[in-house]
Amino acid sequence: MITMASSQEKPQLIVDGKRLDGRDAGDLRPISIQTNVVKNAVGSAYIEWGNNKIIAAVYGPKEALPKHTANPERAVIKCRYAMSPFSSLEDHGRTGPNRRATEISKVTREVFENVVMLEKFPGSEIDIYVEVLQADGGTRAAGVTAAAVAMATSGIPMTDLPFGVSIGKIGETIVVDLNKIEDNYSDADVPMVISPRQDKILLLQMDGNMTKDNIKEAIDLAKKAGETISKLQSDALRAPYLEVMEKYKGEKSSYDEKQAD
Amino acid sequence: MNNATTYDYITELLNKGTREDGRENLEYRALSIKPGTMPNAEGSAEVNLGFTRVLAGVKVVLGEPMQDRPNEGNLAMSAELLPLAAAHFEPGPPSPEAIELARVVDRGIRAANIVDLPKLFITEEKVWDVYVDLYVLNYDGNLFDACTMAATTALKSARMPKYENDAVIREGSLGKLPTKGLLSSCTFGSVAGHIILDTNANEESFADARLTIANDETVVRAMQKGLGGGFTPKEVSDMLDITFEKSKEIRNAINKSIGE
Amino acid sequence: MQRIVIPGEKLEDKPLRIEGAIVDNGKTYSTVMGSYDQDKKALIPLEGLWYPMPGDTVVGRIAEDKFTVYIVDLSAPYRGLIFSKDSNEEFVAGDLVEATVKELDKTQTAILGRPRKLTGGKLVYVKPSKIPRILGRGNNMIKQLTMKTHTDVTVGMNGIIWLRGGRLDLVSEALNMIQEEAHTSGLTNRVMSLLELGA
Repeated sequence: MITMASSQEKPQLIVDGKRLDGRDAGDLRPISIQTNVVKNAVGSAYIEWGNNKIIAAVYGPKEALPKHTANPERAVIKCRYAMSPFSSLEDHGRTGPNRRATEISKVTREVFENVVMLEKFPGSEIDIYVEVLQADGGTRAAGVTAAAVAMATSGIPMTDLPFGVSIGKIGETIVVDLNKIEDNYSDADVPMVISPRQDKILLLQMDGNMTKDNIKEAIDLAKKAGETISKLQSDALRAPYLEVMEKYKGEKSSYDEKQAD
Repeated sequence: MNNATTYDYITELLNKGTREDGRENLEYRALSIKPGTMPNAEGSAEVNLGFTRVLAGVKVVLGEPMQDRPNEGNLAMSAELLPLAAAHFEPGPPSPEAIELARVVDRGIRAANIVDLPKLFITEEKVWDVYVDLYVLNYDGNLFDACTMAATTALKSARMPKYENDAVIREGSLGKLPTKGLLSSCTFGSVAGHIILDTNANEESFADARLTIANDETVVRAMQKGLGGGFTPKEVSDMLDITFEKSKEIRNAINKSIGE
Repeated sequence: MQRIVIPGEKLEDKPLRIEGAIVDNGKTYSTVMGSYDQDKKALIPLEGLWYPMPGDTVVGRIAEDKFTVYIVDLSAPYRGLIFSKDSNEEFVAGDLVEATVKELDKTQTAILGRPRKLTGGKLVYVKPSKIPRILGRGNNMIKQLTMKTHTDVTVGMNGIIWLRGGRLDLVSEALNMIQEEAHTSGLTNRVMSLLELGA
């Protein structure tokens, strides 16, 4: 572990090809996703991504209020991303959204404006809440990943299930999924959200320095990491159903029931 | 969603001596207390009380002493009714309800000297500030008791950073935040003429008076009457007796969760 | 053969018109969590919202009384509208009503007919996607529930169920079971034995 206060100079982030937490350049941190964690919400999910702990919930569709925010053609999405004041190891943060959080809320909303079938609900609003309870780098990517799962559990139709991941550059190496320390000292950070079925990039931000080739490589790495992330989203969504199905597998299904729907 | 139908149903049940979830008037819902769920924070605790779910996070950071208390550290408590926790919680600055919640929990914790503030003194210019943030993750009534439990547990299980050579050390071998005693609270609602403990959201929405009593083993440390209705002195006296009896269960649960 | 599918998952390599699916580039994809029957080409949503259809029974609360019309809160992206002339009863804001969808207009409004005030009892909220299972084929499940528990049950397709009298606890428990196990086989038998054990 690095003691931040005592070392102002940049730590060595990659030693003998391994990152500080033992990962290779292309490795994701451990990720686990759970659905239906907020009983009151229409859809919800909880994600642990490395030391990030994030809860996402969806409410609606409901009548858009105040009325002037309504669009007669389609639903509007409202999104709040916020970080808890106890989320970081070092400081006590401010409560509620700041400028950074407001920007992330906006780009997150735009991701879902692409995949949610808004035209099905003219005049209504859909609320997405992403609360970062503990942060360790890459929270916007993890937040979108969780919010996509929450949206799927709400039953609001979507044309695809997007995932997020952050790609970074450490020295000359392009690495997947920066953690907090890497993020602080990396040469570049590129958070991305990709819609895998459409093969479209729905969120792309970058700061630092990267060549054209670096960025192309980063996109390839994000897509590759996405295969793992998408699988985890899919498993989390299916798990509760498969569990119950497994429990009653042996039981006879009467004609009556098959036709029930 | 409140409506006359639910009110009639709840009243009917209370008149029969039971409640929506089959509880008795003075019975708590299933309780679980998990300390240390957010390891970045010096202390944390998640409390599930029925479907009410709250999280307390404790951060201990360098600060300056207050002028009127130059020889001790500081404690600050705040509460967020997260908009994801219920359909009627709105984003925005803290509501009067959130502020009342934080202040009532704060008064109990402070009066019971749970945090040993004089031990947070470092130098004349530097003391430790202890921030407790209460996060409501799902609302189903009785936030006062759930938050008091979460705050107490998070503080009792918090670690203490070190200050060495002008640097704060937050990892490695650390001691515990200096604390004393143990606090819990019991909150009663007056619903359709019945006094009941640990109201769920439905019951709470029809309560006309509410009383929170925070206590430790020996004495009452904070009280708050809420809502438009009132209680008779006899009712208050009965609730005090019940609180001293019932709160033992809660303090046992807190102790058990932190391995004491 | 049925399988669980998620939004964006490919159902067919050819373009097919399936409720809850979209066609993109000549292929068919799900837009919801669902159970897909490959043989019947049918997608049953597992998590879902209510889209009103004429003939649907709904349960809602009078939100506003505007002389000639009542606005009904249906806990859905659609609101209900009852014309006073279509009602034999008078309502006030807060009343609980059962009604039937007559038609839909373009403003996310369902015009309701045959309103009836519901008094007493208890409301249960379920996911609208589970309602078909709660009703059962030919309303068999709900008939059994009503018969065995002597409880009046009014099922709103919008996911609000009104119960009165009889064994409210048992009906609530059975509704929970149906919601959680809606996509499994042998459910009717399990619900029936729950009712018999509890009786």
